[in-house]
Amino acid sequence: MTMDNDNAISIVGLTKTYGNDSKKVIALNDINLDVEKGTVFGLLGPNGAGKTTMIKILTTLSKPDKGTCKVGGFDVVSNPLMVKKMIGVVPQENNLDRELTAYQNMLIYGMLHKVTDLDTKISKLLQLVGLDDKKNTVVSHFSGGMQRRLLIARALLSDPSLLFLDEPTIGLDPQIRRQFWDIIRKIKKDGSTVILTTHYIEEAEALCDKVGILSKGRLVAVDTPNNLKILVGQYVVNVIDSDGRLTQYMFKTKEEAQAKALEFSDGVTIRRSNLEDVFVKLTGERIE
Amino acid sequence: MNWYPIFYREMILFSRKLLRFGYLFSALVVPVIYLITFGLGLGRNVQIEGMDYITFLIPGLIAMSSMNNSYTWVASALNLNRIYFKTFQVFVQAPISPCSIMIGKVFAGVVKGLFASFLIIIVGLILSKQPFITPLSIVALFLNCFMFSSLGVIVGMVTKTHEDTSTYNNFLIMPMAFFSGTFFPIDRMPLLLKSVIYVFPLTHTNILIRKSSFDMEAFISLFVIVSFATVFFLIGSRLIRNYSE
Repeated sequence: MTMDNDNAISIVGLTKTYGNDSKKVIALNDINLDVEKGTVFGLLGPNGAGKTTMIKILTTLSKPDKGTCKVGGFDVVSNPLMVKKMIGVVPQENNLDRELTAYQNMLIYGMLHKVTDLDTKISKLLQLVGLDDKKNTVVSHFSGGMQRRLLIARALLSDPSLLFLDEPTIGLDPQIRRQFWDIIRKIKKDGSTVILTTHYIEEAEALCDKVGILSKGRLVAVDTPNNLKILVGQYVVNVIDSDGRLTQYMFKTKEEAQAKALEFSDGVTIRRSNLEDVFVKLTGERIE
Repeated sequence: MNWYPIFYREMILFSRKLLRFGYLFSALVVPVIYLITFGLGLGRNVQIEGMDYITFLIPGLIAMSSMNNSYTWVASALNLNRIYFKTFQVFVQAPISPCSIMIGKVFAGVVKGLFASFLIIIVGLILSKQPFITPLSIVALFLNCFMFSSLGVIVGMVTKTHEDTSTYNNFLIMPMAFFSGTFFPIDRMPLLLKSVIYVFPLTHTNILIRKSSFDMEAFISLFVIVSFATVFFLIGSRLIRNYSE
């Protein structure tokens, strides 16, 4: 693992456990990872894989047991203040002040991060996420989707060079989700780095330059979505037998897939593989 | 030091609470009940330390009320915001020092404690014929709020569930409220109990708040309160610094 200036994030030997000796849970096990600056990096994994723990450590909310993590070249344990100056976070769990209005939530966050020209930025961002007409509404009156949109707007307020998004689009309808994708693309274009965890495979494929696959606290693969698909096979033969059971075969070339399909009389389809297939192949689990 | 956003947030939430009838009522009702049952019940004819009982009682109730309000609001809100609402995490992830978080929380607790005290002072001014507020009482009141807000941060940080905060209330705050010279002079307590009572920080607030001049006893109590406040503040700051999920 290198720790050069091109990396927004450098992780070496990261380990985190919870619980005591009699009931120890290994949340992260010897993780090594570099994330290049200006890229969108996706963390894929089922619930309990360690995605949120990793985000918490990188955003200084949790301390590692072993290993080192550098964000923007600064160690998260020895220099957390410098890390905090660079990051924006959309957490998995809603941490908005429910008793405050959307504007007040943004205002306090902006004051904490010493954002200049705060009123203008708040207006722009609330407009961006379609909440400008609700700025004086108390957050407890917002729907789940509206609260997620406000979380996204709040995280962007300090113009972070590193944006951490932990399941950012849960509860958003497809149209808003696609608008959110456009926002992420723009952030990337402006030079920021984005770390994203998601359950939505199409989201990871649409946005991520590289994907890391986490399973039971271990990082089992890191590469571009395309390379991962090449690694496990770009073509999938789905066979549904007379009892309705699905069997999948993965092949590197279309010709191989077609040859396999000919072995079955009916219930056979051939399709391109996706990151879900990669995940299943590498971990034996499904992303749920 | 960028403590102001945290203080400001607390003040917005506090001003919302003030608009609700329930808050003012709850801040007033317990001390007023004590005032009526003990004060009027024992009557104006009982003399303690050269003053009528109501004039003796009111400063004690002010100290108790400032303790309850500054401690409870900080401990309870911090615990809820950390465990359930997760809003505390926004402060931890912000580029501000743990000390700034501590100052913001403690100053907010001081304001809440002073406000509750102010309500009792108004009631006291109506009921008491003798003056009970001195410059030393104001100093004692401010330090008391600071000390118990800091303690509130400690309890809010260490409790694992919201129910745990009531355990601390029952075993720490409640005995202090009754045994620290709020209702009766400490001199009348048994010797063994007296030595325990002098360890309670509220005891020294009660001594200082009733002082009209700065004598040796006032100096010792001031020293004890400042020491407790400093230690609680440092422990609270350290707990915030070491916070990890």
